[in-house]
Amino acid sequence: MSNNNKKWFSLNLNSRKKESNTCGCGNASGGCHSNAPKQELSEKEFFDAAVNASIGEERTRDGFDQVFDVKMDRRSAFKKLTASLLIGAGAVSTSCSVITDDETKEKAQIDWEEQFKGNYKLMSDDEKKATVDRLVRSYQLRTGKTISMSSKNAEADVLFGYAFNISKCQGYMDCVSACVKENNQDRSSQMQYIRIHEMKDGKGLSFDEADDNYYHEVPAEGHFYLGTQCFHCDNPPCVEVCPVQATWREDDGLVVVDYDWCVGCRYCMAACPYDGRRFNWSKPEVPENEVNHNQHYLGNRMRKKGVMEKCTFCVQRSRSGKNPACVEACPTGARVFGNLLDPNSTIRWVLENKKVFRLKEDLGTEPKFWYYMD
Amino acid sequence: MNKHTVAIQFIVITVLALSIYSCKHKEDEYHNVIEKIEAKSKEYKGVTVSSESYFDNIELIEISEDGTSFLIPDRKNQIQSYACTECHSKPLQDMENTDLKKAHWDIEIVHANENTMNCTTCHNPENMDNLKSLTSNHIDFNASYQLCSQCHTKQFEDWKGGAHGKEIGGWAPPRASLTCVNCHNPHNPAFGTKWPARFNTQKIKERK
Repeated sequence: MSNNNKKWFSLNLNSRKKESNTCGCGNASGGCHSNAPKQELSEKEFFDAAVNASIGEERTRDGFDQVFDVKMDRRSAFKKLTASLLIGAGAVSTSCSVITDDETKEKAQIDWEEQFKGNYKLMSDDEKKATVDRLVRSYQLRTGKTISMSSKNAEADVLFGYAFNISKCQGYMDCVSACVKENNQDRSSQMQYIRIHEMKDGKGLSFDEADDNYYHEVPAEGHFYLGTQCFHCDNPPCVEVCPVQATWREDDGLVVVDYDWCVGCRYCMAACPYDGRRFNWSKPEVPENEVNHNQHYLGNRMRKKGVMEKCTFCVQRSRSGKNPACVEACPTGARVFGNLLDPNSTIRWVLENKKVFRLKEDLGTEPKFWYYMD
Repeated sequence: MNKHTVAIQFIVITVLALSIYSCKHKEDEYHNVIEKIEAKSKEYKGVTVSSESYFDNIELIEISEDGTSFLIPDRKNQIQSYACTECHSKPLQDMENTDLKKAHWDIEIVHANENTMNCTTCHNPENMDNLKSLTSNHIDFNASYQLCSQCHTKQFEDWKGGAHGKEIGGWAPPRASLTCVNCHNPHNPAFGTKWPARFNTQKIKERK
């Protein structure tokens, strides 16, 4: 590609910006489809064929056999060679073939670029914009719908903080609904970032006795309600344990995940003392008409199977000055959100004038989520 | 140089080296987040984002109470039958027992008890277009929070600071907050019970 500042290798398969009509296979003229297999395979057929050719019977063998019982005779060596050739030829044929339509080529090009892009954390602003544009285009090619996706960076002089009034929360759970809707969470597994714990009066904060999935008229007599979600710790243990640095703390204090860099090991889930992280055990599904089209790369864009996700204080909203969806939805005003660095902000007033506490303060995680009472 | 001086020198150098390296103060490192907030907000210069575009055509007025000023929604244009004097052209006594259309029949006061409150605790029978304080001073309908704050002083303090009530728009300045009567019906201010917005059936299955 023309951009030389990239930190990863890109194959020029079907660049729309190309100056010469050289294509990936190196043939300047005559079209390269002559070298590639003429017949078109469907994506699934192609995948199956490639997998069969490359691992063949190893599909059915267990791990021990795969490692210790390797027959690398001439036959299997040829097999493996053919497989890699087939994969390469397939990619080239899809993107260079004159039979394949432009959209398929573009899809292949986008997939390639997305596959080999770097960690979002290390990207320059141009690279961030490029990946966001690719994701928007890819979504358009696949669904025909146009979304808007932002890659807005943290703003200077901003550190987000949150306060939760446990005497005001009535347990209505409007926040949970708003959050699921805003953040495109998987509907089939009913994933939710927020949990509202119904606690008995006079028992202190005993989470083991609390109920976070009640269904009766609220507020219930003799109970109070306390919500938990990701606390965006200033010293986040989840970030420490990530083996691939797919999660980090942004300058405005948001702890975010690059869904495309996450390998799904769930170390962070185990490291979080607050149950703030969620894992996609299956492919997240959101009905097309319910998808929130206002997205951010680090926020509510569509996730895939096998990656972590969590509350981002609605990065797509908060970075443009709005309150997170839970704050906006709360009918009791129990949720206060704001900029901790602004001495005149309401969150600062709460911290300075109310009796505030945080959960598991002794761990030194420094959550930026305070609780207070009237 | 005797052994004694060498030993002392050694100790002094070790202590110095330890004190320099033990407390690793990087530029961006604070002992806790409160310390960080205090230090960083000293150089606060403001932000580029603004809440203004999220006010959605809500008519706002600026109020200033004890040095805090912020926006609250205009109230008068939200009251269905304002100005009151459009009907209340006569004193109340003259309007009773006439064939006039019944108004306000659905209002029942569920707010404090009869010894503490009745209609005229807040409404001014002499001038229906204004509310009245406990000492019979005029209070504008747009400043009705001044009426509530006569008794609910703690809530008023919290509301001014931002610990009570709800913000309009977003966290970014300018600050706009709902006023008392936007959430609480002044004639029946308590929040009722209702069913939660959702129930997670998947959680039930998973926890079996």
